[in-house]
Amino acid sequence: MAFISATCPDSSFFLEYKDENGLLRKSCMAASHRVVGDTGLSDSGPSSSTHHVPYATVLHGINAPSTSFLHQEGSTFDFGELEEAITRQVRNDEAQAPLFTGRPAATLEMFPSWPMRYHQTPRVGSSKSAGGESTDSGSQMNTTTLASKGDQTQLEPESPMSKIASSSNHHHQQHQALDQNHLQFQQQNQQLQKDMPISDTSRATTVATGATEASKGQSAPKSNHEKRKGAGSTSENKQLDAKTLRRLAQNREAARKSRLRKKAYVQQLESSRIKLTQLEQDLQRARAQGLLMGGCGGGFGNISSAAAIFDMEYARWLEDDHRHMSELRTGLQAHLSDNDLRIVVDGYISHYDEIFQLKGVAAKSDVFHLITGMWASQAERCFLWMGGFRPSDLIKMLTQQLDPITEQQVMGICSLQHSSQQAEEALTQGLDQLHQSLIDTIAGGPVVDGMQQMAVALGKLSNLEGFVRQADNLRQQTLHQLRRILTVRQAARCFLVIGEYYGRLRALSSLWASRPRESMMSDDNSCQTTTDLQMVQPSQNHFPSF
Amino acid sequence: MHYQTESWGSYMATRSSYGDPLELIERMASEHAMVIFSISSCCMSHAIKRLFCGMGVNPTVNELDEDPRGGKDLERALMRLMGTSDAVPVVFIGGKLVGTMDRVLVSLINGTLVPLLKEAGGSLALIERATTPTNSFHQQKRNDHDHL
Repeated sequence: MAFISATCPDSSFFLEYKDENGLLRKSCMAASHRVVGDTGLSDSGPSSSTHHVPYATVLHGINAPSTSFLHQEGSTFDFGELEEAITRQVRNDEAQAPLFTGRPAATLEMFPSWPMRYHQTPRVGSSKSAGGESTDSGSQMNTTTLASKGDQTQLEPESPMSKIASSSNHHHQQHQALDQNHLQFQQQNQQLQKDMPISDTSRATTVATGATEASKGQSAPKSNHEKRKGAGSTSENKQLDAKTLRRLAQNREAARKSRLRKKAYVQQLESSRIKLTQLEQDLQRARAQGLLMGGCGGGFGNISSAAAIFDMEYARWLEDDHRHMSELRTGLQAHLSDNDLRIVVDGYISHYDEIFQLKGVAAKSDVFHLITGMWASQAERCFLWMGGFRPSDLIKMLTQQLDPITEQQVMGICSLQHSSQQAEEALTQGLDQLHQSLIDTIAGGPVVDGMQQMAVALGKLSNLEGFVRQADNLRQQTLHQLRRILTVRQAARCFLVIGEYYGRLRALSSLWASRPRESMMSDDNSCQTTTDLQMVQPSQNHFPSF
Repeated sequence: MHYQTESWGSYMATRSSYGDPLELIERMASEHAMVIFSISSCCMSHAIKRLFCGMGVNPTVNELDEDPRGGKDLERALMRLMGTSDAVPVVFIGGKLVGTMDRVLVSLINGTLVPLLKEAGGSLALIERATTPTNSFHQQKRNDHDHL
């Protein structure tokens, strides 16, 4: 805009100017609004005031032509700033919808040569992102435009208004792309919502606030409006297909990755939870042991630390046993290959080797604990032989369960049973020998030499450990020999039977411990029995096969 | 305190040679089908003797505490040989060292003891009783074992 001239008739001024298109314009100013020298902008005398034009009044003059300014010989008036201010104003108006809509029409008619096109939501909203301006007003604009969808027209990329608004075609394309991203993100959001209900809240918040962050493709979904924009694609979409597809793919990928991350996180949480419960159980057990030690301290004599440790380890072994049994069971049911089943069976044998090793360690410190069988359940204790099960009894139990079985296998098992019986007899006789010897030592002769007697007795007691060790050795060898005689499948069944058998013995012990006492029974005996049985709380270890 | 022992077979008569205990042990092992080094008061030795007796085997037993030549040397030699603090019982079959009760039980259960005895022993009676199972399940098969 270039100022051409201003003539000063008596009482009125008018401003002639050339607009951007070079058209000569006139603006009429009323004399009454002569403000020369009254604006206070200039400090100098009246002469200088003519050279300085108050911008405010100039602008106001444009709005309502009521200012005056004089133009002298040269164009000392600097309209560059005016030009800047005007264009800035226009841009601001464009961007800030409420201001825009609130302004009087005169503002809009600054460039009356171009019909004013009211550009709809997306561009203007996107232009904010281009300019990095506030998002709230944008969303407000969106809502207002959404409300007034009536005059929704096609986008006009060539409109100068849009040019000013977005200042370049590139911006427009950016906006278009961002629109597509809105649509895509909308779709992604829905997908995510299906996959992970947890994300509902986050999605809801994004929709609710309508936050339109200017980051790539993260703008708030503009729901139906966007969909329609995307679905009812215009010619512009075809131009951007390649970019769109790439962005779609990227978004899909990002969503997939976030899903996987979430899954991994959840799995991690689950395993941590399981670990936590196991730790709690261990802690409870340890506490129980501690209580037991404290409780027995007075009356029954202290449980030695070795015994307490062994009891804890045995409890853990029982849990492992339960797990091994499940593996055997599922392995048999799933008809695993022989190689796979062999691994499971050998694992079970190692599991037994473990308890024998633990018992060996315990026998060194507290052989009486093992011999009395306080670590085992009552029913097991009943059948206890030298601190554990009697191998020949076990084989007798198994011979009925192992079908089918070859002739050679029959012989092998028979021979095994015979050998274990012989060994059991020999060890029992050796232990009897020891008992007798101890009795003789402790009872002593007529002449009692206290300390000497005790020393001898102690020496003989130390042999107990040897017998328990050999008994465990016999048990271990019997299991290993069973493994050798039988096929993998037979061995798996065999060990399952053994595990279940001892599980039932433990269950029997539980039931026995909680059976109804004779003195407490009412007239209706059967009723009492069933009630009491119902009260039994089976622990995991006692009812493995039920 | 002393308990009555049964006669376990040929008791080792006093020998003139006193040399290296280990040599003595080896010599004894090679001269008899089966030798058990024992101590009369040791319960585990008693158990091992009962084991072979129950199998019908007639082993040669050397009670170290009753050895006039000085069982202590033999005891120490056996301890060194076995690498344990328990010198007895130690079993030799066919001149070869089988070991202590631990190893005897292992070889008994895994089925290698009886063939070893068969190899070393000559007496049919020795082997027959050892290998005949008494399980009723196997009644009809008893005759089959005669050829062993």
